[in-house]
Amino acid sequence: MNCVEFERVLLEGEHSPEQRAHLDSCSACANLLADFTLISSQAKLLLAADEPSPAVWNALESRLRSEGLIRPAEASPSRRDFFWRWRTAWLVPVAAVLAMVAVVRLHHPASAGDNAAVAKQIKVKAPVTVAVSSDDQQLLNTVNSHRPAQRARYRADLDDANAFIRDAEQAVKSDPNDVYRQQMLINAYEQKEMLYDLAVDHVSEP
Amino acid sequence: MRAPNCAAKLVSVLAITGLAFAAGESRKDLHFKVGKHPTVSINNPYGPVVVKAGANREVVVTAILHSDRVELDQSKSHNRIDIVSHLLAGADRKTGIVEYEVQVPRDANVTLHSDTGRIHAEKLQGDVMVAGNEGPIDVMDCAGGHVHVRTLNGSVTLSNVHGHIEVMSMGGDVFMNQVSGTLVLVNSNSGRIKYAGDFGDDGEYDFTSHTGDIEATAPAFASIEVLARSDQGRVDSDFSLEPKHTPFLASAGSAFAGTLGKAASSVKLFSFSGKIHLKKRQN
Repeated sequence: MNCVEFERVLLEGEHSPEQRAHLDSCSACANLLADFTLISSQAKLLLAADEPSPAVWNALESRLRSEGLIRPAEASPSRRDFFWRWRTAWLVPVAAVLAMVAVVRLHHPASAGDNAAVAKQIKVKAPVTVAVSSDDQQLLNTVNSHRPAQRARYRADLDDANAFIRDAEQAVKSDPNDVYRQQMLINAYEQKEMLYDLAVDHVSEP
Repeated sequence: MRAPNCAAKLVSVLAITGLAFAAGESRKDLHFKVGKHPTVSINNPYGPVVVKAGANREVVVTAILHSDRVELDQSKSHNRIDIVSHLLAGADRKTGIVEYEVQVPRDANVTLHSDTGRIHAEKLQGDVMVAGNEGPIDVMDCAGGHVHVRTLNGSVTLSNVHGHIEVMSMGGDVFMNQVSGTLVLVNSNSGRIKYAGDFGDDGEYDFTSHTGDIEATAPAFASIEVLARSDQGRVDSDFSLEPKHTPFLASAGSAFAGTLGKAASSVKLFSFSGKIHLKKRQN
């Protein structure tokens, strides 16, 4: 059994000995199953009291229509009520399925034939608030104390270096055996090392 | 009418020179006798450093100090010369400027550092180690040694450089024209990488970026084995390459692999989201 075959039976409750053998030998599928299990368990914890805003519902409805999972109701007067009832009843499993689809796509971004769809998903990036590690903060403080005008530039460079590391790590996770992705991760860390080196070089100034 | 014109020009030059030095500029000329393969290190936080090949067994340093808030520290130990622009209290990006023009023996190993100024190394055959921050870095007509360049946001230009070459840049663009060697590594974050040359010397050419575009231009007769991939950027080749087995999925538009000629050199072009283009040189 290979990974593609396993993905087809992923949602089955019980797994055959062949499937379990594949899980034992394939860390990627094992991680995928672990993610599914986690999502399923978290989905059950969703409560009606935690219902998201109307904007979220509208976006979800629009997305489901574009995916062809729901169709416009024929009797327009009852359409809104129908969807309201429908979404409250099916929200949890649908949200879980959408999350699972996202996880599958992210775990296997290079499947043949679906490059366009994957590219679309990757391009849509939510704004990320970049946290600064204690080491990075120490570096920024050092730079700040000696060269206030350069702090923003160092911060930007630091963010770029960290973004490269994050992306390279994600790429390695998607294919741990790819030596070129591993090299890219090493390059990313070398950039950060250079940033530290050059920043420390400057602190010899008065 | 020629004599008055010349006189006027001379007066103007003298006046400008006088004003410049009156504003606090001073000039230092240093001469050092050295042996074979000397090592010369110049650390200049603000201002340009220009190093060129000169007479054998001699290092000549000309430095223009822009104020009295910076001084030159020099030391010579055996065959090693260290020169540092020592910033004094109150020095800043303007008053701390020192302009260096240095002549070294062709076989010298040089280590150059400037944050804001241009760094230029020319016609050297020893090792050239350069570190910059914002200023442009040019290395030209160098061969035989290692050329290592590190910069944050300054552009890097290598012209007619041959040897063991490593360039690392965060945001600075890297331009290479007629560059070859047994190893040519370029590691960039957002800076572009542009190469124009023949990928000679049976070398290994590894160009990597995070978001910067990579463009490599080679002649039709190039002898290379190419691997190219961008996770999120477009990947194109003008060449009809002989297909080659790759350890990854070489899907059209995002990766390609193949050989050209006898595949004497290895060319690897990898980016995370930058575009990659292997172009054919138009003669």
